[in-house]
Amino acid sequence: MASNKANLELWQSEFICLFGRKMSLLILLVALVVAATTGKSNAISSASFSSSSTMHTNNWAVLVCTSRFWFNYRHMANTLSLYRTVKRLGIPDERIILMLADDMACNTRNNYPAQVFNNENHRLNLYGDNVEVDYRGYEVTVENFLRVLTGRHETAVPRSKRLLSDEGSHILLYMTGHGGDEFLKFQDSEELQSHDLADAVKQMKEKLRFKELLIMVDTCQAATLFNQLHSPGVLAIGSSMKGENSYSHHLDSDIGVSVVDRFTYYTLAFFERLNTYSNASMSSFFNSFVPSLLLSTAYYRTDLYQRPPDEVPVTNFFGSVMETIHTDSSYKGFSSKRTSSAKIEMPLDQADETERRTLTSTTAETHRTETNVEAEENHIFHFISSIWNNKVERIEKIDAVVNYGLVAMLPLAALSTWILC
Amino acid sequence: MENGIPDSQNPKPKPRPIVRIGIFIISHNLFFSVICCIGGILALFLLPLMAKNTYISENALMPGSANPMFSRYDTMEANKLVKDIMSMSLKPEETGIEIARLLAQRMEESGVEVYHHKFHEKISQFRPLHFFSDTTYTGLLLQNTSAIHGINTVGIIRAPRGDGKEAIVFVTPYNSTKIELSEALSIGLAYSVFSLLGRVTWLSKDIVWLAADSRYGEYTSVSAWLRDYHTPVFNGPESKENPTTGAGNTDFFRRAGTMAAALVIKVVEKHGETEKDTLSIYAEASNGQMPNLDLINTVHYLAVHTQGLRVKVEKVYTLLNLAWLQVMGQILESVSKVAKSLNSQWKFGMPAAEYVDGTATLASSLYYQALGVPTGSHGAFRDYQVDAVTLEISPRSFLNNEGRRTEFLLRGGRLMESVVRSVNNLLEKFHQSFFLYLMTSPSKFVSVGVYMIAFLLLLVPLPIAAAALYSGANNLGSNLTKDNQVPAFASTAKPGVQKSWRWLHAAKVVFIIHLWATIVSLLPSLINHIPEMTPTNNMFIWASSSIFILLILYSMLGSPYSHPTTSGCQNSEWATLKSVMIAVASIGLGLMSIINYATAQIGAIILVPMCLLVHPLKLTGRSGNSKAFLLVACNLVVAVIGFPPAGLAVIKGWSEGFGAVNVGDFWIWAESLWAWNSATYLYVVLIHFPCWVLCMNILLHPC
Repeated sequence: MASNKANLELWQSEFICLFGRKMSLLILLVALVVAATTGKSNAISSASFSSSSTMHTNNWAVLVCTSRFWFNYRHMANTLSLYRTVKRLGIPDERIILMLADDMACNTRNNYPAQVFNNENHRLNLYGDNVEVDYRGYEVTVENFLRVLTGRHETAVPRSKRLLSDEGSHILLYMTGHGGDEFLKFQDSEELQSHDLADAVKQMKEKLRFKELLIMVDTCQAATLFNQLHSPGVLAIGSSMKGENSYSHHLDSDIGVSVVDRFTYYTLAFFERLNTYSNASMSSFFNSFVPSLLLSTAYYRTDLYQRPPDEVPVTNFFGSVMETIHTDSSYKGFSSKRTSSAKIEMPLDQADETERRTLTSTTAETHRTETNVEAEENHIFHFISSIWNNKVERIEKIDAVVNYGLVAMLPLAALSTWILC
Repeated sequence: MENGIPDSQNPKPKPRPIVRIGIFIISHNLFFSVICCIGGILALFLLPLMAKNTYISENALMPGSANPMFSRYDTMEANKLVKDIMSMSLKPEETGIEIARLLAQRMEESGVEVYHHKFHEKISQFRPLHFFSDTTYTGLLLQNTSAIHGINTVGIIRAPRGDGKEAIVFVTPYNSTKIELSEALSIGLAYSVFSLLGRVTWLSKDIVWLAADSRYGEYTSVSAWLRDYHTPVFNGPESKENPTTGAGNTDFFRRAGTMAAALVIKVVEKHGETEKDTLSIYAEASNGQMPNLDLINTVHYLAVHTQGLRVKVEKVYTLLNLAWLQVMGQILESVSKVAKSLNSQWKFGMPAAEYVDGTATLASSLYYQALGVPTGSHGAFRDYQVDAVTLEISPRSFLNNEGRRTEFLLRGGRLMESVVRSVNNLLEKFHQSFFLYLMTSPSKFVSVGVYMIAFLLLLVPLPIAAAALYSGANNLGSNLTKDNQVPAFASTAKPGVQKSWRWLHAAKVVFIIHLWATIVSLLPSLINHIPEMTPTNNMFIWASSSIFILLILYSMLGSPYSHPTTSGCQNSEWATLKSVMIAVASIGLGLMSIINYATAQIGAIILVPMCLLVHPLKLTGRSGNSKAFLLVACNLVVAVIGFPPAGLAVIKGWSEGFGAVNVGDFWIWAESLWAWNSATYLYVVLIHFPCWVLCMNILLHPC
């Protein structure tokens, strides 16, 4: 079964290449279309196997600031800082769902109009032209949040406001605001309970909306929000244990409000040192939180997560670094065998590292120089061209075979017409 | 109670436990009354111990989180204006208008909207029909008249990015006819803060500065302006002008949004205070209404923690030297020490000195709330549900000292700016913290839930005593004294319908007296119209006409002693009367506690013992033992103190010496109460006074 599927996928990939180049091979194409449809149905029928076997396809981030009002300035600054960080590490805007009350930058009390800072040195303006807020103001509700997670939108909701993840997606879910024992307040009017969150995650799992999910929560008693989770593939990190408060880091006496929370501040401090090629592991991220600096105990839950956190790079969630596979010979597609092979350990596997670097660094370069949408297109282009380079020889051989076949068909056709006449 | 109902004759079920508890309490009413009264008065004295530290309840306020921008440059502005005003006051003629013009000119220079508001002196008059509501004041319409008027100067800063729906108000009262240095300083201070606020970018509420002309009193000018602010006039003379192009026209009345908070700023020269500049906070508005505690907390927090001022609230200084209060403080201190040694969790103690200080502050807080007269012009704001306080800043040195003055202005200005910035952060009206509280120190308060205990303990004996007297009276009347342990059951036994309806006569008497008290309370409005009267004469007219009306009422409706009773029932008649009187008094006190707690509390301290102790002199006279003598003595003392004019005279004599006591004092006092629309007047005349008269009736009852 598995080998059959691999073959089909091989055919599929070849179809893509041929489609790009030779329009003359119509007969073969028909045959291939038939093959492709059967392959697809095959893939769908085999979709229920465990997520660990699917390949990491893309990265998504859902960043939620659940509070509003001027005195909660820091929550918006937290979220915008995280937004900036994941964007810097390679998640494009179209894969970030940003939910903000967004009442700070243009608040009348803000003496830096249209600017938001997360540090009293005011060096970095978090708010600018390239902040795409998907859910704004009173749209940030529990209902919308759950709809985004579970994908149950009304038909009119545009694609940009949807979490269009798939079974291979890594999702970062960051939430900040005011919370308590097993709940999180949404804009002083609603509450999200730990049961709601767990249920949404379970639905996501059922609907194959993620492969791995990192839930990061910066509220008081954040750890309690994870109590009800039991879907596999979920990592969770919270700023404080039950009965603890999460504190703000410092006050900006110029703006007159606290501008960042401790947990987020130290998260950002950790990520400031990193770039797209960094292979800092999740466990090093977890261990970077010092309770004496946080004034609370950061809590992380790894029991639902299959891979050991010290082997998973943080860029798996915070960046958009794909696991690309270099193959010497034929391209074998997203086969289940390959992803579950030893190559998973790639960030720590020094032998493979050099080869892989070249690919990842090229993608990283494009991320830096160009806008993100273009970067994403480039990424796909690189992917296709790398396959293309591998296949050139084989494709030419096939050309020869097909040409000979066509030549052989001519006398056959002549013979048959002659008989019929 | 188990023996109350013998088992042998018990076909009916046992009464429910709550009924039995009620009967038990009523049958032991004397014991309970004494315990509750003592407990109530004791609880009042324990309030300073139960005071909690104040805290900022509203998250949005964030006091002190922003650094003030008020600088020495701004103090120079203030000093310059002070000098200009003081040099102007040296010229004798027309200083009032000059200062107003100067202020308007300065404000226009700094680019804010400004106008003059003219108003007339308010004639204080007793208008019973408009007791709680002010009459509409039409200061706007009086512009054309040539009568003398005061001129308020008002400046408005529109928040550059705000929605203009809310405003913060400063008030600086000054006497335009004779300005003093301290008043000039307060104007200078407010001006410098105001011009600073015109430059900042963080305003979300408009800022209004009212330089109130206090030639007719601070309160009058502020309340006149507030009344016009809240009374839109659609057909006044200014409607002919184009309201949109009102710029430059300094007579056009302009408004900002709803007032979020108001600060009355006063600079006062007080000597004797040494090491620090002092800030006194006055908050009491009419009828014991207080601004939200958060406003006081914000001011206190900013003054103490960011500007290093010493914050004071009013206290009764005479209490500080009372020996018995100090002894009580020491006893409480030692008790708390013992309690702490038993269990380290019990932390309710405080040092004796602190206790005495707290009691003195509490007494002042109670007194000013009970009086129902605002302690400053902030009271005018409370009538429009605006939270306002008066901040009285006094420097440690003399105001003439220029070097010190800059330092002082810097502190005051930064404090004002910080308070404005904090209030500016508000998203809603002040609502998070308490409105009903008593202060025991600038940073400690007693909330309504705690201080009500003291009042309720005093009030509880009244219904119990009324029930006990009523049932006891019926027992006496029907001669069923032997089965005395269940008095309530025996009451409806055999004497028939007539006995159980005997309270009707008592109720009639109580009704007549209360009706009379209502008439008495309205008399001053008539007496007021008599021209050229001294308070003493007024008082005599009031008293004599009251007595005259009482006699008329008696002749029309029958005197309390002219009841056609059957012989032998006289004994219980006074008891029925007393029980009805007590019932009415308890209802009155309960109602008053809703309107003004402090009045009810102080009233209950006098009224409750008076009602409970009262006993016909003839009856006590018959049994001539020492106990009876004590009762008579108590009755007489309480009767004297309970008579409102006498009580006032005693208090005045105690505080100022008995030589100063005058018959007209009560009239003056009452006049001030109705001038301020204080419900305390209603309490004294409608609840306390009829109760006292009924007590006199009982005391002199011919039984």
